Amino acid sequence: MITVTNFSKQYKGFTAVKDLSFSVEPGQILGLLGPNGAGKTTTLRTLCGIIPPSSGNLSVAGHDVVQAPIAAKANLGYIPDDPRLFDTMTVWEHLAFTAAAYKLADFEKDAEALLASFELTHKRNTVVHNLSRGMRQKVAIACAFLHNPKVILFDEPLTGLDPQGIRRIQQAIRERAQAGASIIISSHLLSLFENLCTHIMVLNLGECRRFGTMEDLLSEVGTTDSTSALEEVYFSITQASDETSDTAAV
Amino acid sequence: MDSALSQLLILRLRGGLRERLLQLASLRGLLFSLAFGGIVWFMIVSNGSSGTSLLITEALDWQALNAQIITFMPLSMLGLSLLTVLMTTGPTFHFSPNEINFLFTGPFRRRDLILYKFCAYLAGVILTSLFVTLMAPPQAGSPLFVFIATVLTLVFVQLNSAVIGMAGHAVEGHWLAKIRWPATALFGAIAAGAVLYAWATPDYGIIDLLSAFRHSWIGSIVLFPYIVFAELYVAETVSHLALWSLVAVVINAALLRAVIVFDARTTDRALAENARMSGRWERIKEGGSFFATQQTELRSIQRAPILGGLGPIAWRQTLNALRNSFKIFIIFAGLAACIAPISLAVGAPLTDPETLMVVYVFFAFILPRNLVCDFRGDLSRMEIYKTLPIAPWRICAGQLVVQVLLAYAIALTMIASTLVVEAGVTTQVALVLAAFALPLTFLLYAVENTVHLLFPTKLMGMGRADFEFLGRSIVEFIAKTIFVLAAVAASGAVGLFTFKTVGTTLVLPGLASWLTLTFIGLLTLVALQYAFLRFAVAETID
Repeated sequence: MITVTNFSKQYKGFTAVKDLSFSVEPGQILGLLGPNGAGKTTTLRTLCGIIPPSSGNLSVAGHDVVQAPIAAKANLGYIPDDPRLFDTMTVWEHLAFTAAAYKLADFEKDAEALLASFELTHKRNTVVHNLSRGMRQKVAIACAFLHNPKVILFDEPLTGLDPQGIRRIQQAIRERAQAGASIIISSHLLSLFENLCTHIMVLNLGECRRFGTMEDLLSEVGTTDSTSALEEVYFSITQASDETSDTAAV
Repeated sequence: MDSALSQLLILRLRGGLRERLLQLASLRGLLFSLAFGGIVWFMIVSNGSSGTSLLITEALDWQALNAQIITFMPLSMLGLSLLTVLMTTGPTFHFSPNEINFLFTGPFRRRDLILYKFCAYLAGVILTSLFVTLMAPPQAGSPLFVFIATVLTLVFVQLNSAVIGMAGHAVEGHWLAKIRWPATALFGAIAAGAVLYAWATPDYGIIDLLSAFRHSWIGSIVLFPYIVFAELYVAETVSHLALWSLVAVVINAALLRAVIVFDARTTDRALAENARMSGRWERIKEGGSFFATQQTELRSIQRAPILGGLGPIAWRQTLNALRNSFKIFIIFAGLAACIAPISLAVGAPLTDPETLMVVYVFFAFILPRNLVCDFRGDLSRMEIYKTLPIAPWRICAGQLVVQVLLAYAIALTMIASTLVVEAGVTTQVALVLAAFALPLTFLLYAVENTVHLLFPTKLMGMGRADFEFLGRSIVEFIAKTIFVLAAVAASGAVGLFTFKTVGTTLVLPGLASWLTLTFIGLLTLVALQYAFLRFAVAETID
């Protein structure tokens, strides 16, 4: 599971995230929602140990990401918005590299299954710089899934994917959650949240504006003319907070 | 040329100038630019005051040099052309993806686009020629002469390569294309015969043979286009320069015309080549090599070594070296093997301070800039390393292993060639050099990587006149040199102390020195680990 307590992150006088607390239990899928600069990516990057927190505690599968980073990372899979793969390595070599890094003794069967699942079997010996962006995204996801992590963090997971790819990834995320993984997804695609997430957190200007189950949030809005109820929730929360900050400024 | 394209050229030049001025607006940019300017000023002043260049000694007879230019410059240019015939894969007028998107879809003729590209290239050539002129020693003659000769020669080299490449593609499928390899084989046979003849004839080397060919009537005819440019460099009067400049301009104009004619027949190939080149440049910006593999499918071993986490990182860099930097490695190993024979040939033994400085610059500046199989090429992938469940010191060590071993292998090549050609170097000396070369190489790259992670920067300059980049490179090199010299001095001091305290032989002092150098190298690995942990992925890499 994921536990975040009083997490804050400052960059040279700028507060990217302020006093954030939440938890994601096994099997839950949390959608991080918010405008650009809300602190979503900062939260994900801190959780996976890329950047250190300024204050607060973050733990992954019971391991503190600052005190026990290796143990925390061993239980974590992270898929960034722009996967930077090793350009001279093949698809299979990425999986072999990941297996060695996570000390997986017998990974071949799982790796083959992941390749088949993401329709990458015929690309196993292809050098990744010859792949399309969507294919590279699939490789990154396959690598993140290989060690069967208890926690998976997705930052804009559907960028560059074709409709088949989108369906495949959504299905994979559901399967991972059903298998007991705690998952966080950061995205601007509200339909993705409606399809997948059990919980939603709306961030704005580094602060949590709303955190709850998807049902709770949608029930607040009730029936609307909007094509997306979540869209209505999102705008009502973010615009309200914008107005609040404007009033405070005045 | 279309007026819109002329306007675009002016705007791009202004944009480039603005970028440089913006660099000067920041303290760091200003300091690095001043450092670069200072070094250039020092070189110009040292050239002017001593009458010699830093790289050209007083012993060099300029009359003899002129004779060598007239003899060997045309031969070298012919060799370059033949190499282009063999190696070229496409037209050398490279359009970036942005230019293709904006200009190829615009209402412009291909001829205008080629002229636009040529003018952009000419602007770069003029800038390069200005630098060459500033660096030229006073004996090279009038700076104006040097400038004109350099501009015309560089333009010729570019156009000549373009015409050769495009002509090759224009005749693809034609019977003429089929004679490429038989003709190459014939040239190879002639060259091999010449080498054999020179080898079998006492007191008559390959240089004499080439010289004889150059001054024969057939050589003068074959090499005429190249002789023109050699004449530019040795022109002593204005009329001499004007005459040969006129001929050079006519040759360049004819080549430009040929480029325009061939371009109409090779547009599809040019587009494919442009896409390939753009991909390569993008990879170079991320630390890749121009010579990286172009293969799409590759087979390799199915498992990566684990070695407690060090294995996969070293394996990744091994694959990188094999596929990205293997040709670079071969080239540098070849160059390293030539250092000792060349220094012997020009009468500058390796023990001379000037030669030692050249060797040091080769190993500590030129080689690390070109052979990149460590953190420096992976800054855009730091996210991956940061999320791995591997101890930071193992990641750092894994990153250094391949780079250090490759650089060490190149150093060993030089030591081996020195052992062969230098009478004063015994096997014992070579072994000692080889033993010390390893910790020294490790230290060099540990420092290089630490500096790079603490002050991350791009691996390539922003065009030819990126003074901040050039200044920064020089400042980094000086800082690294100071650190390495301090480490070597400390190692030497420990050795001396050991010798004075306990030693009657050099074994113990040598061992103490070696251990000290190794210890300092390992301490630098700790600094590298700190730099890795401190590296902020979220910050923009400028």
